[in-house]
Amino acid sequence: MSANPSPIQPIEFKGRMILVSILRLHPAEPVALQEALEARMHEAPDLMRDMPVVVDMDAMADTPAQDLLSALETVRQHGLKLIGLLYSQVSAPLADRTGLPLIVLGPRAGGEVPLRPAPKPPIESAPQETSEAAPVPPVQAVHTPSLVVNQPVRSGQQVYARGGDLIITGAVSAGAEVLADGHIHVYGPLRGKALAGVRGLDSARIFCRRLDAELVSIAGHYRIAEDILDTERGDNRLITLSGETIRILEI
Amino acid sequence: MSRIVVITSGKGGVGKTTTSAAIATGLAQEGHKTAVVDFDVGLRNLDLIMGCERRVVYDFVNVINGDANLRQALIKDKRTENLYILPASQTRDKEALTQEGVEKVLEELSQEFEYIICDSPAGIERGALMAAYFADEAIVVTNPEVSSVRDSDRMLGILSSKTRRAEQGEDPLPAHLLITRYSADRVEKGEMLSVEDVQEILSIGMLGVIPESQAVLNASNAGMPVVLDTESDAGQAYRDAVARFLGEDRPHRFITTQKKGIFGRLFRG
Repeated sequence: MSANPSPIQPIEFKGRMILVSILRLHPAEPVALQEALEARMHEAPDLMRDMPVVVDMDAMADTPAQDLLSALETVRQHGLKLIGLLYSQVSAPLADRTGLPLIVLGPRAGGEVPLRPAPKPPIESAPQETSEAAPVPPVQAVHTPSLVVNQPVRSGQQVYARGGDLIITGAVSAGAEVLADGHIHVYGPLRGKALAGVRGLDSARIFCRRLDAELVSIAGHYRIAEDILDTERGDNRLITLSGETIRILEI
Repeated sequence: MSRIVVITSGKGGVGKTTTSAAIATGLAQEGHKTAVVDFDVGLRNLDLIMGCERRVVYDFVNVINGDANLRQALIKDKRTENLYILPASQTRDKEALTQEGVEKVLEELSQEFEYIICDSPAGIERGALMAAYFADEAIVVTNPEVSSVRDSDRMLGILSSKTRRAEQGEDPLPAHLLITRYSADRVEKGEMLSVEDVQEILSIGMLGVIPESQAVLNASNAGMPVVLDTESDAGQAYRDAVARFLGEDRPHRFITTQKKGIFGRLFRG
C-alpha cells in the first residue's frame, strides 16, 4: 500500500439525507400532553427512547411562551431528544431561549416557507407578536438531493424521500412501500407499493424496470393491483398522472 | 474466531429447527467445535430433534438468570464429536431473553466454540430478534410457497436493520438462502414456486435446496439430525449445504425432477 497522498482532514462535511420524526404539538392541557406522551412511550418504548425529534409548534400560536417552554420540557422528560424546532412564527422567538436550532423544511409548492428564518424579534417580545420582518423571497433553484437506496427494499420496510426523488437500485418487494415527494425510480422489479408526489406534485412519475406493483400512486391518485391490467404490467414502465387518471406507459 | 449464525425464517413450520440441527451436526462432523442454541423459549423443540430431551437439566434461561453456569447447561451430543446443545426453557416465555443476558451467554460460548448456531423461533418478535441480534451471518429458511417467501423477505429486512451489526453501521450481515421441502414434481406441475422464482424474489445467495422427504420426518421422530441419514436425499442435501457454507463449491442437486435426480445421485453421490 502506498502512502496516502493527501493528509487526512480532521473534519468533513457530508450532505447526507436523514429521516427525522416531526413531533407536532397541538394546544392541550399539560396533563393531557403528559398522558399522551406516556401512552406512546408505553406502546413503543424502544422506538421512543432517545428518539430524535424536531418539534412543530405551528398550531400553538395562542399559547404563551412560558407554556410552550414547559411543553418542550415535558417532551424532553419523556425521553425524546429534541434536536430542533420546525421554523414557524411561533417557534422562531423561542430558538434562543431553548438553545435549539430552527429547522426549515425543503421548499413546498407555493414556497410559503422561507429558506432562511426571518430575523428573530428580541427575546423580551411576546411570542404571539407576529414577526414584522419582510418575508425572504423563496429561492428559485434549490436542489434537493435524491435519496439513493442501494439495498433491496424488503417486505415491511418503508422508504420515504422527503422533498426529493427516490432512486432504488434493487427490487421493491411485495409488502414494501416506497414514497417520494418527487419521482421514484426503481431499477429492479417493483412488486410493492410506490407513491410518488406524496405532497401533491402532479408531475411526479414512477419509473421501473419491471412493473408488478401492489399499488401505484401519484399525488394521491392511485391504482391498486386489481386495477392494473396484465397488459400494463411488464418491463420498463413509466407511470404518470394525466388529469385524474393514472396512466401506465411503456418506456 | 467464532461465528454466530442465526437460522431464521419469519414463518413457522418451515424447518428452522431441522436445519439448525442438521447444519450444527454437519459443521461438527467437519471437525468444527459447534454449539447449537435453542432460542424458542416456551416451545422448545431442538432437544427433541437432537434426541437429547431426556438429558436436559438446566436451560438457556437458567444460564441467563445465573441459576446455572454454561458448562452445567450445555449438553454434549452423544453421536457427534465437537457438538453441544444449549436447550431452551419450556416453562418460561421469550421475555426472559434479555439482551444483556443473551449477549453474555453468546460471549461466553464464543470463547470456546467455532460456530454458534442460533435456532430462532418463528415470528418477528422478541425471541426472533434476540436470536438474530448478535449474529455474524444468517441462514434464511424458506419453503417454495408465496407466504413463506414473503415472510423471509420481511425477515431479511429486519436482519439488515435490527441487528447489532446494522445498528453499529457495519456491513449488513451475509444472509444465505436455504429452500426446504422442495418438490421438483410439484414445481413442474406449477403447484410450487421454483428455485429460480424464490431466488429472484429474495435475491440472496443460495446455500442449498432440501427436497421434500420422508427421511426428515423419520429423523425427527427418531431424535436424530437428518444429516446423519447419509442414504437419504435430504441428508445429502444438508451435507452439501454445510460444505457450501464452509466455502466449498458444490453443484445443486435435487432441484430437477425425479429421473434426473436419480441420475444426479448416481453420478455425483
